[in-house]
Amino acid sequence: MTHTLAVDRALAVLSIKRRLAYKGTFFIGLILGGGGLLVLMALWRHLLGDGTLAGYDWDAMRAYQIISFITATMAFGAADWYIADRILDGMVAIDLTKPVDFQRARAAEFIGSMLATVPTAVVGGVGAWLLFAPPGPVSPLAGALTIVSVLLIFPLVFEVVYLSVMVCFWTKRYLGIMWAREALMSFFAGMMIPLAFMPEWLRAIAWATPFPHYTTTPTDIYLGRVDTLGALGLIAAQAAWVVVLWVGARLLWRYAVKRVTVHGG
Amino acid sequence: MRHTAAVYGRSLAAHVKSTMEYPADFWIMASSGALWQVLQFAFISVLFANITTVAGWGYHEMLILAGFLGLSGGSSALFWDGIWSTPSMIVKGELDYRIVRPAPVMVQVASSHIGMQSFGEVTLSSAMLVLGWTGAGLGLDMLPLALLLLACACVIQCALLTAMCAIGFWVKGHFPAFAWIAVDLQRDVMRFPLGIYPPLVRLAATFMLPFAFASFVPVQILMGRLPAWWMTGTIAVTVVMVGIAVAVFRAGLRSYDSAGH
Repeated sequence: MTHTLAVDRALAVLSIKRRLAYKGTFFIGLILGGGGLLVLMALWRHLLGDGTLAGYDWDAMRAYQIISFITATMAFGAADWYIADRILDGMVAIDLTKPVDFQRARAAEFIGSMLATVPTAVVGGVGAWLLFAPPGPVSPLAGALTIVSVLLIFPLVFEVVYLSVMVCFWTKRYLGIMWAREALMSFFAGMMIPLAFMPEWLRAIAWATPFPHYTTTPTDIYLGRVDTLGALGLIAAQAAWVVVLWVGARLLWRYAVKRVTVHGG
Repeated sequence: MRHTAAVYGRSLAAHVKSTMEYPADFWIMASSGALWQVLQFAFISVLFANITTVAGWGYHEMLILAGFLGLSGGSSALFWDGIWSTPSMIVKGELDYRIVRPAPVMVQVASSHIGMQSFGEVTLSSAMLVLGWTGAGLGLDMLPLALLLLACACVIQCALLTAMCAIGFWVKGHFPAFAWIAVDLQRDVMRFPLGIYPPLVRLAATFMLPFAFASFVPVQILMGRLPAWWMTGTIAVTVVMVGIAVAVFRAGLRSYDSAGH
């Protein structure tokens, strides 16, 4: 293992331990995510009955909501505050003196904290699976591609969070930035309502952002709403977002870091 | 009472002034509050482009419900946001200073912060309420009743938050976990008519943690879906909730042991 990879692993493990040290986070994530899931299940059970809406019947919607719960748990539960606080309290100045790449180090920590949400996602997902018995993937290949898509969410969520956190170089607080990002993410990912329900123009706006790849891409693949070629295309688009946002974050960092003011003492 | 009101007013005003020192932060917070409401409006509009009713509630009625929920939540952030810091103040021993001041501790804590997101939240929620109101054909003669119900909803919301945050006196921790869970579940559950849920959930949301009285019940009264005597019930719940919140906070203060310095 190279030195850089060892640093990545050490930071990720540290982040996992830090998150798991607070057992309450696990239960809070489960109650909030589980509560939201039950509410949406009740809504769609009521609305769909034995019919279909926008191509979803009750079977498909059950699977959609459970996958959405799992991806939302990962996307919302990670330690974005940790990065923001380093910028807001000036710790970023110390980071600049360390022989590690700032973006890569934060990525390792963030993905570590996302891994710490996996127990919540698994317990909630399995519980929901047993309770609602959704259908399986449309084919074994679709199941495998769904897993690939879910794995790509890890770097994608980090990059979106990292880009938004960099606004803290210009502000004194992070809360509003976080809320704005989470609002856009919930809506355009399809966590509030599947994108298939939206009018054409709104869907076009959604697909011009990386957010649909959080929920719509894995569920579309899982439910067979796209064929194999379409699934591969969606995963390619998701991977392209990962590359573009990584490079974009590097460019923004070069500009943003000039805002750092270190007050000596 | 007048003295307490003056302390409360001055404390909030001082916080508004300090907030305005950082205009970028204010606008980001206000915009994020507005954005959540815009997307809530978009969600309802998208949903109703595909269906006609949810548990018998039409588009405009749903807008009134969402607007009312946003207004009661936004108002509590505007007038009572500092209460969220109760658990943190307990752990840090920061209540010591407030206990020796000549004003109710609860009022001092609640007025120590103002939720800047509420400016956007209240504005957009009002717009949704007005849109739903006119669309549903409600007259201006209902306005006094709506304002009274809104005042009750806001007080119930603040009282519930106070009681939930005061749990921090016994279950120590920086984070107001109970209040956060309650408010998050409220936002999820109460944005839809209670008719879509099983009876147990309806009962719990109405009588156990009476969040229904902060949005669903008042809107039903306005729409004429509930008989007028429910208005009396709403006022009674408001009084009882204030009593419970004050009692829980006072009991918490009696068991408060300073972190020491």
